[in-house]
Amino acid sequence: MKRSFLPAALTAVDAANLLVRWLLGGLFIYMGWQKVVHPVLFLNLLREYHMVQNTTALNCIAIAVPWFEVFCGLLLIAGIAVRGTALLLAGMLAVFTAVVFHRALGVQAAQAIPFCSVKFDCGCGGGPEFICAKLPQNIGMFFLAVWLVASRFHRDPSRRATGPEDSTPAGSRHAGIEP
Amino acid sequence: MIDNPAQPAPRTCGCQLRKVLLEAAIVAVLGVAFAFLANQLSPRGLSPAMNYFPGDTTASQPPVAPVVPGQSSNGASAQPPPPSPAELLKERIKTNGLQFLDRAGVEKLFHDPRRQEDLIMFIDARDPDHFEQGHIPGAFEFYPYYPQKYLESVLTPCQIAEQIVVYCTGGDCEDSLSAAIYLRTAAGVSSGKLFIFGGGFTEWEAAKLPVETGQRNSGDLRNPAP
Repeated sequence: MKRSFLPAALTAVDAANLLVRWLLGGLFIYMGWQKVVHPVLFLNLLREYHMVQNTTALNCIAIAVPWFEVFCGLLLIAGIAVRGTALLLAGMLAVFTAVVFHRALGVQAAQAIPFCSVKFDCGCGGGPEFICAKLPQNIGMFFLAVWLVASRFHRDPSRRATGPEDSTPAGSRHAGIEP
Repeated sequence: MIDNPAQPAPRTCGCQLRKVLLEAAIVAVLGVAFAFLANQLSPRGLSPAMNYFPGDTTASQPPVAPVVPGQSSNGASAQPPPPSPAELLKERIKTNGLQFLDRAGVEKLFHDPRRQEDLIMFIDARDPDHFEQGHIPGAFEFYPYYPQKYLESVLTPCQIAEQIVVYCTGGDCEDSLSAAIYLRTAAGVSSGKLFIFGGGFTEWEAAKLPVETGQRNSGDLRNPAP
C-alpha cells in the first residue's frame, strides 16, 4: 500500500502542536499539583475572592479544580481528546483571568497603588505574582489552548504512518475520544 | 483525497464542532469524577461538607478600600481608616464568645506553675511543618483542617485543663479561631477556658521566648528560659 509523505510545512505544524500540547499540559500539571499538595492553602486563597459564599460549593471547587487541572494536563501530554480538553482549558483560563483581574482591581482600590504594583497570590499555583506579569501569562496560555482547539493535527509526528494500513494523512485524523 | 462536491463544507464544520463539544463534555465529566476520587484517596483531601472556617462572619464582605484623608467619594468628611486584619480578628474572637489574650497574658500563663500540672494547656493550630520547625514548648498540635487526626490526643488534656491557649501564626491568621471553635462545638470544651493568643507564634518568636522544635516535649529548645 502506498505510504503518504507529508509536506515539510505540515510537519512543522505537527511539531508546533506537539510542543504546545506538552508546554500547556506540563504547566497545568505543575499548577494543579501545587494546589493538590496544599489544598488548605488553595481553599483559603479561593475564599479570599469572596465569590462563593456557600461552604460546600467552595469546598467542591477547591477539591475539583486542582485534580481537574492535573487530569487535563495528562490528557494533553498523552494526546488524548486534545481539542475537547483544550476547549475546557480555554474556558477555564478565560474565567480565571477575568476573576483574577477583578480581584486585582479590588486590591488596587483597597491599597491605592498603581495597577502593576498589585501583587498577590491568586491561587493559580505559582505563589504571589505581580498582576502585570500574571495576566499576560494567562492570556498566553489561553491562546495556546485556542490554538489546540483550532488545530486539526494532534498526532505526534513520530506516530504518523507507522504501518502499511496507516496511509491516512495525519491532517485528516484526530486523536480523541470517539463518541 | 478527492473532494466530494455533494458534501457541503458547513456540515463538516458543524460536525467537527459537535465532536469537539462532545469530547469536552466527556472530558469534563471524567475529570470531575477523577478529581473527587483522587481527593477521596489523598491523605490531604478536603471534605466537601465540612465548614473549615467556622468563625468566619465576614467572608461575604470584600476588602474595604481605605479612605485617603481629605478625599471622599460622596463629599462627606473623611472617615477613620478601616480596621487592620488583626483588629478584625480580635473583633471576631469576641463575636464568637472567645477571649483574646496578648503576649503578656500568654507569658504569664506560660510561667504559671499550673502549666506543669497540665492545668494550663497550649494548642498550636498551625500546619504540621510549621509545628515541627518550632512551637511554644509543650504545645499540642491541632491543625483545624484535619481535626479528626488530632482530636484524640488533645481531648483528655482539654478536659483536664483550666485554661487553654490556642495560637496560630498571628496577624490575620484565623486557624486558632477555627481550632477553638471546633474544640468548643465538637469536643464540648467550655468557651470560658478557651483563649486566643492574637499575636501568635510570630510575636512569641520575635520576643525571643523559648521555642521547642520537632515533636511535642522533644526537649530541643531554642532561647531556653534562664
